[in-house]
Amino acid sequence: MPSTDEIYKWVAEVLKQQFHFRDADLRPQASLIDDLDLDSIDAIDLTVRLEEKTGLAFKEEDLKAIHTIQDVVDFLHARL
Amino acid sequence: MRITVACYRTLGRRVCGVLIDAIVAYFFLTDSAGRRASIRYLRRVHATRAGRRALGRSAGTWASFLRYRAFGRAMLDRLAIWAGKAQDFEYRVQGNEYCDRLAEAGRGGIVVGAHLGNFDALRLLAERQQRIVHALMFTAHAERINRILDELSPDVELRMIESDPNSLKAVFEIRERVQRGELVSILADRAQPGEVGRTTETVFLGTPVEIPQSPFLLAGLLGCPVLLMLAFQTGPGRYDVFTEQLTEGVQFPREEREKGVSELSTAFAARLEHYCERYPYQWFNFYDYWGDDKSS
Repeated sequence: MPSTDEIYKWVAEVLKQQFHFRDADLRPQASLIDDLDLDSIDAIDLTVRLEEKTGLAFKEEDLKAIHTIQDVVDFLHARL
Repeated sequence: MRITVACYRTLGRRVCGVLIDAIVAYFFLTDSAGRRASIRYLRRVHATRAGRRALGRSAGTWASFLRYRAFGRAMLDRLAIWAGKAQDFEYRVQGNEYCDRLAEAGRGGIVVGAHLGNFDALRLLAERQQRIVHALMFTAHAERINRILDELSPDVELRMIESDPNSLKAVFEIRERVQRGELVSILADRAQPGEVGRTTETVFLGTPVEIPQSPFLLAGLLGCPVLLMLAFQTGPGRYDVFTEQLTEGVQFPREEREKGVSELSTAFAARLEHYCERYPYQWFNFYDYWGDDKSS
């Protein structure tokens, strides 16, 4: 099972590659909507990339509890 | 909606037709901004050779009235469809093979439409062909409309998905349905207020407009095909339906996405232009679509 640190690195990598964020933008407590300014299309984009990477399938309900990068990491960590 | 359907059922098509003509005439006479916008649209169509031919007259007040009347005629057919009185509607369909192919492969897709022609006629056709189509609506009333549609025609498989451009729920619902092999239809000719930064500027009938990117972005992310579907009334209860494939479904690499999506939005606008030039009276955007009032 990957550690939370490893998962954080994956997620940060996806955010950097797909959304052109810089390291300075990314911290565990950054809000996906308020700080990173992601909208619903970005959310699908991020979901598709993370699904490809992890083989998991995300539902809309799963995303309700996700607000920050750390939430994404915790979500993945609990399922991988 | 319930009341108008009840009227249609009680009064019949002919009386409703007269009532609708009267309502349309009233709107035409009182809506000066709409008339102005209408004439500007007709001039744009008239500037093209095909458009001139299809209009058959100058882009003046009479042509403008005919547009309003065409809307009334489409409305009458919509009432017939909602009232379940459209069994005798006839269709001439072009491009149905695109839908057949998807159905055979069990693939879903995004269907882009516009306020051009009658999309309720497409709903009826989908029902006859037993295809499942979900319509995305930019309204908070989707649930209520679904309830009414259920009452009116319990067997119909078309359902509305409520869409707030900021809502995750809508995009996930679209994804789920496309993955299930169903079609999701989106009217893509009007950008919604929440879509700032998600539009492509493209020249449409000679003037730049903002075409929403979301349907094409979503298709790119889901790797699903995009079909264009339009239905034009050629007489009472008679329709010519055109289905075209804008893309077979490619997932754009991130760096090419902007370009790919822009190309799709531009192709969509070009096809709308093509059909506006052939069915000029059935463009049912009656507001200042090109923002002429703002720019003048």
